[in-house]
Amino acid sequence: MPDYDAIVVGAGNAGSAAAITMANNGLSVLLVDRSDPPGAKNLSGGVLWGNDLAQILPKWQSEAPLERFIQDKKIGFLTDKSSIIIDFKTKIFEENKVGYTVLRSKFDPWLAKKAREAGATVIPGITVESLAKKDGKIIGVEESGDVITSNVVILAEGINPRLAIEAGLRGPLQDWEVSVGVKEIIKLSPQKIEDRFNLSSTSGLASEYIMGNLQELNVGAFFYTNKDSISLGIVAPMENLRENGITHTYDIIEQFKEHPSIAPLIDGGTVAEYGAHMIPEGGMEMVPKLYGDGYMIVGDAAGFGFSNGLVLQGMNYAFLSGILAGETAVNAKGRNDFTSEALALYRQKLEESYVLKDLKTFKDIRKVTNNKSMYTTYPKMLESILLEMLWERGQPKKKVRDILGSCAADLKMSKLKTATDFYYIYRRM
Amino acid sequence: MDIKERLGKTKYDVDKSFAHITVDDRICEKCPHHFCVMACPAQCYTMQDGKLSFQYEDCVECGTCSVACDQGSVKWQFPKAGKGVIYKYG
Repeated sequence: MPDYDAIVVGAGNAGSAAAITMANNGLSVLLVDRSDPPGAKNLSGGVLWGNDLAQILPKWQSEAPLERFIQDKKIGFLTDKSSIIIDFKTKIFEENKVGYTVLRSKFDPWLAKKAREAGATVIPGITVESLAKKDGKIIGVEESGDVITSNVVILAEGINPRLAIEAGLRGPLQDWEVSVGVKEIIKLSPQKIEDRFNLSSTSGLASEYIMGNLQELNVGAFFYTNKDSISLGIVAPMENLRENGITHTYDIIEQFKEHPSIAPLIDGGTVAEYGAHMIPEGGMEMVPKLYGDGYMIVGDAAGFGFSNGLVLQGMNYAFLSGILAGETAVNAKGRNDFTSEALALYRQKLEESYVLKDLKTFKDIRKVTNNKSMYTTYPKMLESILLEMLWERGQPKKKVRDILGSCAADLKMSKLKTATDFYYIYRRM
Repeated sequence: MDIKERLGKTKYDVDKSFAHITVDDRICEKCPHHFCVMACPAQCYTMQDGKLSFQYEDCVECGTCSVACDQGSVKWQFPKAGKGVIYKYG
């Protein structure tokens, strides 16, 4: 008889959500995390959208350590000297507070505590060394020479899934599957944040930028307000970084911070933390086999994330995949069958949910996010159009059509290439 | 702000007895690109006198080098229990 019904490796959003789901349904669950407190290795590069979290923790909004609800969402382009931004501020976000900025070192210990309260055994500070196998089936985990056994192991080890790779459950990560995220926390008083960004004591701002001010790099950037700090950072695709080959990732974030429209926003702030994390970018093609005899893979470890250059989501996919894996384990326990055939239900549940639907719908999104013109040409083109339209220079005005024509000529763009790009952006985004 | 100064803001419990990443000098010597030097966000990989130099103490455990190294030099393991980077904010 195994030691536990389920062992969950990794107490991030996916792992804790799985543990809570299973413990709520009477399964014996061991949740381990290699950091102590749990989550101390994690960085949020995005906004936490809590629709799925509400399934298992209906009171999350009042109980969880959240920073600020997103009232103001900005998306924009940066060029050397300009920023072109769509500022979407809506009462609808205020009336439906589901998107929050979070700091994972505060949020994750809370979520793990919820798993403990649900009945799971939670042990932080344990590094699982390998998966225990018997007759091709995963039967538990190994740590310091001890084997702890379970009917099912849920792998929630994150974007750098050493155990899954070592056990041959997925191949080593490839360039096209990941971006490098680099992040800083900038301390700024709540008063400054609220004045500077026109926010209340609870509302917040989340901005995403396409950095058109870097030569030959397809980099996105983010900027979020916390209670008394700013989370900001950059996201650089590995493939593109390698092709470029001359830029240090730690310098790119400095270029973002020094941009003329970003520097004033963090003026007077001090760097409180520097960190980095990879981000899944490979979409459907990077998703490994999600289950097998005695195991399921959830969250970042499964490659569940969504990014189109302007939107970056992962924590919602983590919650939902964790919940669905948890439900599958509960079902398997009911039938006392943890074989690959029984756990195929997990894949089926994912197919029916937005997790795999989104990955399938946007399977070609990398062709848009990898399109250099999105980062180099189009931001400059927008800038040129706006300068022509909005800047009085004592010269005859031009029609938009003619502005576009001269911009395209200045930027050496063919009409056909531009038309094709826009067609594909329209089709894939 | 210099990267070393920024890294100085981040909390670690460095495991002095176990390097969770190791590199094979013989392979690095023949590497045609040393892309790790550009990719690593924590400046763990640097070129010194034309030779690759590596230290794991500043590592933030992102795993980037395990992907960046396509020569088979980087061996990446999780640090031992609770060791390594400890984000206070995350």
